[in-house]
Amino acid sequence: MRIEKHPILTFERGKEIYFIFDGKRIKAFEGETIAAALHADGIIKYNTSPKLHRPRGLFCAVGHCSSCLMTVNGVPNTRICVTRAKEGMIVHSQNPRGDLND
Amino acid sequence: MIETDILVVGGGPAGISAALACGRNNIKTVLIEERDFLGGQLIKQTHRFFGSKEERAGSRGIRIAEDLMNEIKKNKNIDLYLDARALGYYEEEKIFTVLQNGRMLKFSPRKLIIATGAFEKSLSFENNDLPGIYGAGAVQTLMNIYGVKPAERVLMIGSGNIGLIVSYQLIQAGVQVVGVIEAAPEIGGYAVHASKIRRLGVPLYTSHTIKKAIGNEFVTGAEIIELDRNWNEIKGTEKKIDCDCICLSVGLSPLVDILSQSGCEMVYIPELGGEVPVRNENMQTSIDNIYVAGDLAGIEEATAAMLEGELAGLCAANTFINDVKQDERIEKIKNNLEVLRSGPKGSKIRSGLNKLIKGETFFQGGRNTGSEIEAFKKTGIPSGENLRSILPDEKRINETPFALIECFQEIPCDPCVNNCPFGAITEGTDINNLPKIDYSKCTGCGSCISRCPGLAIFLINKNYSENTSTVSMPYEMLPVPQKGEIVDVLDREGKKIVSGKVVKVLKNEKMDKTNVISVEIPKEFFNVARNIRLVK
Repeated sequence: MRIEKHPILTFERGKEIYFIFDGKRIKAFEGETIAAALHADGIIKYNTSPKLHRPRGLFCAVGHCSSCLMTVNGVPNTRICVTRAKEGMIVHSQNPRGDLND
Repeated sequence: MIETDILVVGGGPAGISAALACGRNNIKTVLIEERDFLGGQLIKQTHRFFGSKEERAGSRGIRIAEDLMNEIKKNKNIDLYLDARALGYYEEEKIFTVLQNGRMLKFSPRKLIIATGAFEKSLSFENNDLPGIYGAGAVQTLMNIYGVKPAERVLMIGSGNIGLIVSYQLIQAGVQVVGVIEAAPEIGGYAVHASKIRRLGVPLYTSHTIKKAIGNEFVTGAEIIELDRNWNEIKGTEKKIDCDCICLSVGLSPLVDILSQSGCEMVYIPELGGEVPVRNENMQTSIDNIYVAGDLAGIEEATAAMLEGELAGLCAANTFINDVKQDERIEKIKNNLEVLRSGPKGSKIRSGLNKLIKGETFFQGGRNTGSEIEAFKKTGIPSGENLRSILPDEKRINETPFALIECFQEIPCDPCVNNCPFGAITEGTDINNLPKIDYSKCTGCGSCISRCPGLAIFLINKNYSENTSTVSMPYEMLPVPQKGEIVDVLDREGKKIVSGKVVKVLKNEKMDKTNVISVEIPKEFFNVARNIRLVK
């Protein structure tokens, strides 16, 4: 779902890289956030609500709403909408609040 | 401890303008931004801005952003800290703390300018937490910064300028907009923005709200319902709409956390977006050292944010420099802000600002009512009467090509006036006035078409041939048609009226991607044809 041609903008994408999300290999371009790369792959469910375990996705995409928290390279509660994807990153969806023992 | 004269918090349009105002006057300035890039919301604004020539009206937001950001990088008086999050201000010690790369930095500024912007509001309805329900800013971030389509079929909630502009940008990104719904009986934003998406065929539902989102794991649709005059739901008017994204454009809340923590006096003013800092007309808060600018001081648009930023910067800097020239500039900015807010569409912000300080009136004047354009404000489509009011007389229509400005709502804007090489377009002394064409001066050159931020100017050549006319229209979609191509010609509601032949495609650097397409159609459609669609 990446935009290849745009009437106003040109997207200068970085080098093609890969990271692992819940065991799946995801393509990203250097400079993209983890959320943008997952979204481009059609993955839009990022978290679950603490009590009712309802699915949650992005809301603000600028690091303010905490709807997209995941465990990234072992660090829980990482805001994937403002964290840039890096080659070989290990990204896990987490239980709602994250766990330091993961 | 890092000493500086001015510390600006927030690298959006207001913060950048504040830092530049200080940096240009050789004042040592620190600019901190929580993200690893500058620009705030400005770098997502691909559309042309309204306002006056001085504020670069008619330019795209992204171009203004590029220029401002380059100037920040070149200015030796400005130290930029990216990836730096504001933590707090400690008034007694006059220390501001910042988190960068896991380290806490301590700043000791003489003056602070806070320009942290705003946060998107949500709306309560059933299932409003499903994946696929995004703020309009999130949608813009995905598509305009990262070049990722947020979805395939989007339902837009809210018809303020942001909702209308983002709808248009979604279509430019190749996404279908299945509708825009608005709870109020008329369009919230500028009606010309609505006209743009109407002629692309987007339905607009005024007096409607969303009842629930449909879907289990993610959004698969929405149920909307009509509202009566008292904003109550009308039973039996529920309607299902298929979509994979519900985009919320229902307003913004000022991001005032740092100000609350600092101890600034706050006040709740709905017209300004909620809780805002009490401030004077120099943008100074109840704490003498703290100035504010942009959306956190009251929700407006980027042009006002840039002016407020410069104002806050100069007023804060004035406490060290006392330069007469700056006083003149300060008065000029205040005047420009007043002009920007003085039209009928500025009545909300004026009423909010007048509540800001008891006993002090920011605005004496300003117009609350504009032209009687009920239908246009409800639909984004001008009525027959509206259209008759702008057409030249029959004789002129039949002579040579002429421009037609379908602008019926008083908004602060003047690029058409400033870009007519023949001085044929005027709007008098008030920038909010509707533009008028002197048809004895209009040569039909069409250079106004690509400059209008509302994309509301068309060029008509009634007697192109014995049986045909041509209509030249602004076109910002892909692919661009070729000369000679047969296309579907659409009316103001995006409905096909006839097939037409593209006789001219005008594009050059100055037009900055607003191409002008001339299409040949049977004469009877010269005042109906307003868009084209390529035939696959």
